Amino acid sequence: MQPILDLKDLTFSYHSKEGETKALQNLTFSVDQGDFVGLVGPSGCGKTTILNLIAGIISPASGSILLNSQPLNLSLDKVALMPQRDQLFEWRTIERNIMLGLEIRKTKTKQNKEMALALLKKYGLGDFAKMHPSQLSGGMKQRAALIRTLVTQPEILLLDEPFSALDFQTRLNVCNDVYSIIKQEQKTAILVSHDISECISLCDKIVVLSNRPTTVKEEIIIEIDKSLTPLKRREHKLFAGYFEKIWSLLEEKENDG
Amino acid sequence: MTDEHKKYVKKIKIRKLVTKILQASILILFIGLWELVASKEIIDPFIISSPSRIVKIFIKLQGQNSLYNHMVATLSETVFGFLISTVLGTIIAIMLWWNKLLNDVLEPYLITLNALPKISLGPLIIIWIGAGKNSIITMTVLTCIIITIISMLAGFLQVDKEKIMLLKSMRANKFQILFKLVLPSNIPTLMSVLKINVGLAWVGAIIGEYLVSREGIGYLIVYGSQVFQLDLVMASITILSILAALMYAIVAIAEKIIKKYF
Repeated sequence: MQPILDLKDLTFSYHSKEGETKALQNLTFSVDQGDFVGLVGPSGCGKTTILNLIAGIISPASGSILLNSQPLNLSLDKVALMPQRDQLFEWRTIERNIMLGLEIRKTKTKQNKEMALALLKKYGLGDFAKMHPSQLSGGMKQRAALIRTLVTQPEILLLDEPFSALDFQTRLNVCNDVYSIIKQEQKTAILVSHDISECISLCDKIVVLSNRPTTVKEEIIIEIDKSLTPLKRREHKLFAGYFEKIWSLLEEKENDG
Repeated sequence: MTDEHKKYVKKIKIRKLVTKILQASILILFIGLWELVASKEIIDPFIISSPSRIVKIFIKLQGQNSLYNHMVATLSETVFGFLISTVLGTIIAIMLWWNKLLNDVLEPYLITLNALPKISLGPLIIIWIGAGKNSIITMTVLTCIIITIISMLAGFLQVDKEKIMLLKSMRANKFQILFKLVLPSNIPTLMSVLKINVGLAWVGAIIGEYLVSREGIGYLIVYGSQVFQLDLVMASITILSILAALMYAIVAIAEKIIKKYF
């Protein structure tokens, strides 16, 4: 099967007056249709840079990103970003927040609007459509933010530490929520997180990244039953083994050569 | 409602009432003492005037029908200056947000103009624009516009980077980022700018009138002091206080209405 997303030999540098910082070097990995892939790595290793590249906000210096075997810039509409914290617009109602993508793409047709509202209802926010984000709990806001990404019917969801602002208990619940919604909608997802446990509990595959300039250290397939909720997956007997393995990979001293 | 909560609500109500009563008593006490000191000639009423003399002046000016004209003159200069500087300042701030190069180039000039006492430009303005209403409005605009530009721009640049990223990931163009995010998220900034400008616009208009005018509250104050008619000066300042407070109240009400929608 062709992977839905193929990143090949990506190189990217940040430029400043002080000099050039190589963020990515020959980064290569691929994502299969319907997979939930996690990116973990030391802080500052350019995880968000990778997401911004896939989202098409920035372009790589060299290398290629193929989506459905086509250059990314031909099908940017297929990718949606869920940023750190919910980033709902406080001055808009939940309903108008989730329509944002439709407005920007000028595809706010009656049909699309109804589809968006149906999504809100389906995931338990129907009664909150006319409310403002400040009237919702942290978990509900996160769900609204996820629905906002679904409204434009993307194939790939990019989740950039989406739960980092939540307290631990809410976080576990929202994880369950997000996981079941993404699986139900049959979306492919890429998650950036510094929380190894969270990554194992959600992902089918974890890409362990090195320090800057970032390359792929190892890809680990998580073979825990996908039908379990993330919370149950945390209790699975294989969980601790995966945790140990990723932990030691991240601890490893870099071989600068 | 529990008894405890009732007590709490009552306490808050009483507190509010006490505040109002104290506010009113300060005013009444002040006016009363002023009248007393003047009428007993403890201090010469020629120097400090007195509430009753101010009322007499009001009635006299009212009889000449000139009070109304003076008020309208100053009020119109202030309101025009206020509106022009708010709108123009916001547009300039948008241009500077849009074009980083323009912003970098103009920054030192803006900072210098902000620090410059605008009154120093007064004589130049009179020579260039002429001694009239336009000069006074220009003076008002100059007083308000620089701080409007600086405050609005600071607000625009503080917009959450991640929200911009989110819009960019949706393929938003710069226009959409401006109208969907930057402007609506800066309604509170605009409100605080309006409140600052309400005060500054009066400063600009009165300074302008000090320099050139033949009518207006500022003119009355200057004229009154020149002919040593302090009753007139005091009456003018009283009118000014009332007008300024009213205009501030209008902005505050506008803020409440707008907040409902944002």
